[in-house]
Amino acid sequence: MALEWTSVLSFLIDGLMLGFVFGVAAMGLTLIWGVMDVINLAHGPIIALSMFGVYLLMGALGLGNPYPALLLVTLLALPVGMGIYYIAVHRVIDAPHLSSLLATYSVNMMLMGVMNAVFGGAPRNIEFSLGSIKLFGGAITIPTARVVAALAAVLIAAALYAFLYRTRLGRYIRAVTDNRDAAELVGVPSTTILALSFGLGVLLAAFAGGLIATIFPFTIFDGGRYELKSFVIGVLGGLGNPIGSLFGGLVLGLIEGIVPMFLETSWTPVIEFALFVLILLVRPTGLFGGKS
Amino acid sequence: MAILEVRNLESGYGEVQILWGVDLSLEPGRLTALVGANGAGKTTLLRTIMGLVRPWKGQVLFEGQDVSHLPPHKKADLGLVLVPEGRQLFTSMTVLENLEMGATPPRARPHFKRNLELVFEMFPRLKERQNQKAGTMSGGERQMLAVARGLMAAPKVLMIDEMSLGLAPVLVLQLFESLSKLREVGITTLLVEQNVHMALAVTDYAYVLAHGKVELQGPASELAQDPHVQKAYLGL
Repeated sequence: MALEWTSVLSFLIDGLMLGFVFGVAAMGLTLIWGVMDVINLAHGPIIALSMFGVYLLMGALGLGNPYPALLLVTLLALPVGMGIYYIAVHRVIDAPHLSSLLATYSVNMMLMGVMNAVFGGAPRNIEFSLGSIKLFGGAITIPTARVVAALAAVLIAAALYAFLYRTRLGRYIRAVTDNRDAAELVGVPSTTILALSFGLGVLLAAFAGGLIATIFPFTIFDGGRYELKSFVIGVLGGLGNPIGSLFGGLVLGLIEGIVPMFLETSWTPVIEFALFVLILLVRPTGLFGGKS
Repeated sequence: MAILEVRNLESGYGEVQILWGVDLSLEPGRLTALVGANGAGKTTLLRTIMGLVRPWKGQVLFEGQDVSHLPPHKKADLGLVLVPEGRQLFTSMTVLENLEMGATPPRARPHFKRNLELVFEMFPRLKERQNQKAGTMSGGERQMLAVARGLMAAPKVLMIDEMSLGLAPVLVLQLFESLSKLREVGITTLLVEQNVHMALAVTDYAYVLAHGKVELQGPASELAQDPHVQKAYLGL
């Protein structure tokens, strides 16, 4: 099978761009794990909820493009995430991991149940077009919406980095991540910071979900797929290292770009999870370093 | 009036009671030692005063105000600061960032520059290492940083747990000298110490804790002469 270099390039570009978006979803998961050692099993339904939020809000506001709706849904995700923390997570924060897994899984089940009842399982599609960008005299075409999504993903990753390393609140989050008792002892209200971190993780998941909805059709069940991708990316980039997730996302994006050139697409998850297990075995802190 | 007063404090972990009614009172500007055997409840007492361990019974009064049930960060805001056992630094942060974290209480922030100069003067080593990650420093440097971070909070009362544990004698001497300087700037200090001999030599007043209760108290120089203390804690 001879491959045109143009199609190779377009697969790679596509994979890389999607990788950034998946990376942002994973950042949400890994931020929460890093700060409080909680695996947020409601990650997937939050992604799906955000997809529907963007879709419905765009319709309700009668907008021609989904981006204002995406911004609103993202902002709303912060208080929603903090609410989930206070209601479901905080009381089990010092309990063994199984308790917080069950707590967030319960949130998952409730969100899925409500979404199933309200929206049903039918696929939706956000209808809008930004046209496409042509490279090499039309040999490669890239939908503009994907470029926008990739840029937005890089932008929010940069914003998160600046927040964590350049602001007082960000420093509090890093302090709580490092040593919660010590943070409390120097005067950091650690419970508020935990809630804020959970809210930020949910915000990132919602932002990624909204971006994905601008690219692909979706159902309420799709969140699970992206949750699994987030786990793979999180482990690649180092759990607890949100910035590493962006690079983990790139690796996953490349795999998703390259595999279909040689194999059936259904092989993609097999290869991804083989890599997942391999990384856990030989380099459990991830390719880009995580917390030990 | 005492700046920190502990009345009949009881607490413990799970079903196990550690403190059985501790009374303690710190006079402003004084350097007080808290000594006792391993397992006497010294660390638990400090953790209960701070609120890391919930008090079962009794009261903690800070500047006359009942703070028994305030969370630790609110106590730090008021000026009651603990330098915990085992240093508990932010190991992934630099020395300077640790000191910045120390200055979290709003009342400490306006004095950040002055306090930074003060701790750098007290521990020149920290100034040299300010951009180094705290986790990569030696035990002695970490202990200096833990004390310095506590000072950055502009404490009214500074409680230091096991300052000399595992440190070389020359470093211990240096740290005790720094403590005397704290008294000069008017900071009330409660020092939990394994090194009873040294503790009684530099402090004004001392408590001996045994089995979760205050067994003895008095001016440090008198306790150092007490036959029971000499036999049980000084090995004389």
